[in-house]
Amino acid sequence: MHDIIVTTGLSKAYDQKQVIHSLNLRVEEGEFFGFLGPNGAGKTTTIRMLTGILAPTGGTVTIDGHRLPDEREEAVRSLGAVPESRGFYEWMTAEEYLAFFAELYGAERMRIDELLAATGLADRKHALISTFSFGMRQRLGIARALLNRPRILFLDEPTIGLDPQGQEDIQRLLRKLNRDGVTIFLSSHLLNEVSSLCTRIGIIDKGRLIAEGTLAELQTKSKMKGGSLTDIFLRLTGGTKS
Amino acid sequence: MSRWSSLLVLVGVLLNAVVAGADTAPPLSLRILSSHTLNGTAGDYVTVHGTITDTGDAALSDITTYLSLVDTEAKLPVDLEDWSAEKGQYIGSMGVNQTLPLDWKIHFVKAGNYSLTIVAQSGAHDLPCVSPVTRFVVLPKVNLNPANVLPVAFLTPLVLLLLLFLATRIRKVEE
Amino acid sequence: MTRATTIWKKELRRELCTWKSSLWLVIASLLLSFTSYLLLTNKELSLLDQTELMWLLSKVIIGIALLVVTIEASGMIAGEFESGTAESVLLTPISLWGFVKGKFLSVLTLWAMLFVVSLPYIIVAAAGSGETLAFLAYAALLGTLVVIGFTAFVFALALFFRSSKNTLTTSLVVLLALAAPALFSGTLKSGPVLQTMSTINPIENVFAALDYILVDAKFSLLSNIQYLVPLLIFCVVTLLFLGYAVRTVSRQGVVQHE
Repeated sequence: MHDIIVTTGLSKAYDQKQVIHSLNLRVEEGEFFGFLGPNGAGKTTTIRMLTGILAPTGGTVTIDGHRLPDEREEAVRSLGAVPESRGFYEWMTAEEYLAFFAELYGAERMRIDELLAATGLADRKHALISTFSFGMRQRLGIARALLNRPRILFLDEPTIGLDPQGQEDIQRLLRKLNRDGVTIFLSSHLLNEVSSLCTRIGIIDKGRLIAEGTLAELQTKSKMKGGSLTDIFLRLTGGTKS
Repeated sequence: MSRWSSLLVLVGVLLNAVVAGADTAPPLSLRILSSHTLNGTAGDYVTVHGTITDTGDAALSDITTYLSLVDTEAKLPVDLEDWSAEKGQYIGSMGVNQTLPLDWKIHFVKAGNYSLTIVAQSGAHDLPCVSPVTRFVVLPKVNLNPANVLPVAFLTPLVLLLLLFLATRIRKVEE
Repeated sequence: MTRATTIWKKELRRELCTWKSSLWLVIASLLLSFTSYLLLTNKELSLLDQTELMWLLSKVIIGIALLVVTIEASGMIAGEFESGTAESVLLTPISLWGFVKGKFLSVLTLWAMLFVVSLPYIIVAAAGSGETLAFLAYAALLGTLVVIGFTAFVFALALFFRSSKNTLTTSLVVLLALAAPALFSGTLKSGPVLQTMSTINPIENVFAALDYILVDAKFSLLSNIQYLVPLLIFCVVTLLFLGYAVRTVSRQGVVQHE
């Protein structure tokens, strides 16, 4: 297994304010990587730099062997992403929406029906997105991110705002994708979700990667043997539980 | 009648003759030469050709000529503001039997029936001298056909609305 | 180019599927109907020469087109950033330049559609004048040049502002500032400063060229070079401004910090 996501000294500053501090991250191919952090810790900024839509002010990002931003086009062919900002073309139907993105990716049209079925939207393919519920939009966003059969899937808070059934549906889909070999980079602040899905976890706070490893490794690092991810997270980020 | 009364009558007649001389028009002959070419269509530019001749036995000075246009349907004089850039022409002096050309470029601004005269005034005379009246007709503009614009103005938005409506209908959308 | 074409096709579909954009075409045709009917039938206005009526109509066509194009272009890019759809699109292999090119093509198509809508009015107004072809050709050429220049300018603003409202307000102010002097007569533009501004003002150049072509019957490209060169320079300058905006935004990243 090789490292499919590699960052070296990745940094971002806005108007002299450093928001990401020299982030060194390695994610192996096939991993289900959980990226945890309190609000404003820099999760979304990091994902945006990893997906090539935000330029870092320092350091490097390599995705599936392609360095950003020079080999952006090759890198984005390997990745799919469900960004935090979930804008949809409300006037399109689900099928039209996926057809538009399939054309941008150069993906085959039959993939659309396949993904609509996989995300449970097959019976709503001719419905306007403006009529979709939040959960249906989330599933459509995931379907869009999978159009190009990505080797890496970035998800920024994919289950936020969903009811338990909706969360369960998406988690089941992500597990299946990971079993099929897709590397998943999941940013979330739902600790139960991360601990049940992810094989390895990175915790970011105030723009710094403060811990990284499997749940057992994090327990050792935080000196909380048998502790839950919530306890570990709160201790490491200076929360109330210590 | 005494000799004195006869003398008074003679002086009176002579004085009357002098006062009457001040009320006469200058001995000028004015003519519009282009009466047959004046008819036209609204929007046309035409030139009014005319002449002025000193028909008296003395030179005249301080002569000014101008056009006078009357709308014969409305029975009103026309303001020449839009019709001609040069409303008056100052001639100055004219010798005995001298003839000078007079040209005015006018724009037929509005369709209708008109009568045109050239008027001349001399500084030494209190009455103007006027040319014979020339009547002409300005036809309405026909090169723009308003009948064609009506179907275009009504049909284009309607056809467009229909096409756009059809374009939205061919889309497969589930309610 | 293929990905830019995908964006272009999507925009065309949007224009047809959502009445928002299509309605501009209907509004434009209603305005042209009203103007041409007034110009060709009103007794006072019909005192003008036919060529002068054609010139007036050509100014109305270009004016409407510029207004519609400015309003549509203001929301076309900035709207995608505001709604968050730009992020999803730019996560695909399309470059920001490709994205902008696709949008540019759709604005040009909108102009082409507006021009097609104005065709019947042009034909009716120019009938019998012998200037129909010149009217069509020059309205298309001058309109295309000024639309290219304005679109590039509006798109560059949209990339910097990322807000439809700010882009639209600024663009309309600029459009108004350039259009207002074009409505004044030449005698008011005395002095070297006003004359220089008049020479470089693209809208004044378009209107002056149309006057020269339609009223003075100067049909050759060479005789209109005095108007075409400043228009071409305007296009080049605004396209360079757009190129600079694309480069700057690509370098900083297509999304902004929240």
